[in-house]
Amino acid sequence: MDKNFKIIVFIKQVPDTDDIKWTENNTIQREGLDSIINPYDLSALQTAVEIKKYRKKNAKIIAAAMGPIQANDVLKEALALGADEAYLLSDKKFSGADTLATAYTLSQFVKTKVPDFDLIICGQQAVDGDTAQTPSSMAEKLGIAQITCCKSIEELTDDSITALKDTKDFTSTIRAKLPVLLTIDRQGTYINPCINDYIRAQDTEISILGADDINADAAKIGFSGSPTYVKRAYRALKDRKNKIITEDYISVLKSEISLAKEKENCGNG
Amino acid sequence: MANILVFLETDENGIIKASEEIVSYCVSNFKNSQVNAAVILSTGLTQTVKGQLCNSGLDNIYLFINDDAYSTELYAQILSGFLQENMHDVFLISATPLGRDVAPRIASKMNIGLTADCTEIGLDEQNKLLATRPTYGGKLMATILSKTVPQFATIRPGALKQTPLQNEKTVNFVEIHPEIDHSKILCEVISFQRKNKESSDWTSADIIISGGRGLGSKENFELIYKLCDLIGAKPAASRCAVELGWADSAIQVGQTGSSVSPKLYIAFGISGAMQHLVGIENADRVISVNTDKNAPITASSDISVIADAVTVLKSLINEIEPETENARKN
Repeated sequence: MDKNFKIIVFIKQVPDTDDIKWTENNTIQREGLDSIINPYDLSALQTAVEIKKYRKKNAKIIAAAMGPIQANDVLKEALALGADEAYLLSDKKFSGADTLATAYTLSQFVKTKVPDFDLIICGQQAVDGDTAQTPSSMAEKLGIAQITCCKSIEELTDDSITALKDTKDFTSTIRAKLPVLLTIDRQGTYINPCINDYIRAQDTEISILGADDINADAAKIGFSGSPTYVKRAYRALKDRKNKIITEDYISVLKSEISLAKEKENCGNG
Repeated sequence: MANILVFLETDENGIIKASEEIVSYCVSNFKNSQVNAAVILSTGLTQTVKGQLCNSGLDNIYLFINDDAYSTELYAQILSGFLQENMHDVFLISATPLGRDVAPRIASKMNIGLTADCTEIGLDEQNKLLATRPTYGGKLMATILSKTVPQFATIRPGALKQTPLQNEKTVNFVEIHPEIDHSKILCEVISFQRKNKESSDWTSADIIISGGRGLGSKENFELIYKLCDLIGAKPAASRCAVELGWADSAIQVGQTGSSVSPKLYIAFGISGAMQHLVGIENADRVISVNTDKNAPITASSDISVIADAVTVLKSLINEIEPETENARKN
C-alpha cells in the first residue's frame, strides 16, 4: 500500500425531495426548496474515508460536483466530512444536461484533471432523478470496469479490487484491475465532523472549472448534448375512495381479504 | 410501423416475469409494430426458453447462446453490437438490477438517450416512444422523448400489467453464438448467485401485507409474516422498516424497490412516503392501518383504518387463526 491512492467522489446537490411543495397548477414550487447533499453520495464519501483509513491515510479524496455556484455548499460539506480537495464544474453551457451529457462532462473532468485516479465512488443514484444512470455511463466513457450496488470490498491492493455486488435479484463477487468505478447504496451516516473539520473546509479553496477547462466538446454537453427531453410533467398518483373507519375494522378487513381471495380463485380458473 | 426490440433477462428457470410483462404489453398494445426480442442465455436453457416464447406473439427472437456468468461489459458488448447491425426504433429492457446496470453502459457506448425505470410507455403517431417515469422521489411524473435512435428505456418490473402470452403467430427463432472480444471485458466474475425465487416473486402476489415504522419493533413486524402465512399473502415492507433492519431489502416496496399490482394491499403502520405510494399505484385496492388520520397514505387508500397497527394485526390474527386451524382439521 505504498502508492498514494486517488479516489474521486462525485457529489450532487439535490432538492430535499421530502419537503416538496406544490403550486396551484400542480408543478413543483422550486423557490425556497432546500438543497441538500444527495444522501447516497454521503455513503460514497464515507466509503472513500474508510478506504483512506484502511490505507493508513495513503490516499487522497477528491470531491467533485457539477452544478450552479450554490453547489459550493455541498462541496464544503464534503470537505468537512473528509475530502481533501474539491472541484466544482460550473458553466452555463453545462445546464440542461441529461445523464449522457452529465456522464460525458464528468468523464472529461476525470481525464483532464485526475487522469491518474484509482477509484471513482458514486452514490448509487440521486434522490431527485433516481435514474442511477450517470455512473455506469461515465465508466463506459472512461473505459473502466464498474461495480454498481457495491455492498462490501473484500480485497483492495495497489492495483486491483475484489468487491461484493448485492442487488435485490442477485449477488456477485467481482474482481477488477484498477481504476474502477463503484456505486454505493444509501446507508446510515456516521461521520460527525468536528469544528476543526469545518474550519479546514472553510479554508480549503474549491476550484471552479468551466467547459474549456476540461476540454469539453460543446456539442456533447448541456442541453445540446442531451438526447432526452421532457415533453410533459404532471403530478403523480390517482385518487382513491379514501373511506375512513375507526371501528368494527376487523370484520371489514376480514371481508376484504375474503373478497380478494375469491377474485384470486376466479383468476386461476 | 415501429420496429421494437425487447431484451429478455433469464434466471435458472428461463425468462423472468419482468421481461414477459414488457413482451405481453408490447405485443398487445403496439399491434402495428414489429416486436422482436433478444435473449442472452446458457446452452442448457435454450429449449426451455423456446418453449416459453413459442406463443408469445413476438416476430423474431434472437437467442445469444453464451455460458459465461453475467458481467456488465459482456452483455453491453453483445447487445450494442447487435443493435449497431440491426437497427431498431425502440429498445426496451426491464429495470431490474441487471437491466439498470447494463442499460446505461449500452446507451453510453452508442451515445444514445436512455430513460430509466419507466412506469408507462406508449408510441405517438410518428412512432416516437413516450416513456413516462416518476421523478423527484415519485412526486412528479415526466414523459420523456429521445432525439436518438434506438429510443431506449428501462421498464419498472410490475408497472405494466401483464396479459397471458397466447398468440397463434409463428415465432422465428434465430440462434446466435456471439464472438466475444475478451480484451474488452474489464472484470472477472468470481461468483454470481441469483437470490431465491421466493423473495423476488412476491411482487406478483394477489394479496400483499406490508409493514412500516408504525409497527414499532422487529418482533411486531413478525406479525406481518404470521398473518401472511394464515391467509396465503406475501409480506412486504416500507423503506423505513428495511432501514431499521426489520425486513430484508428484497421485499421493499417503492421507488428503488418494486412496484406491486395485487388485488389487495394492506399497509400496517406505514405513513406513506411518496416512493411507497408510487409503488402501490397499480394495486386494485389499498387499505391502510395507521393511527394518524393525516398520514399521506390515507389519501391514497380506498379504506383507512384509524387505529394502532399492532393492535389491529393482533386482533386480526386472533380472529383468523382458529378459523384457519379448523379448516385444516376438516
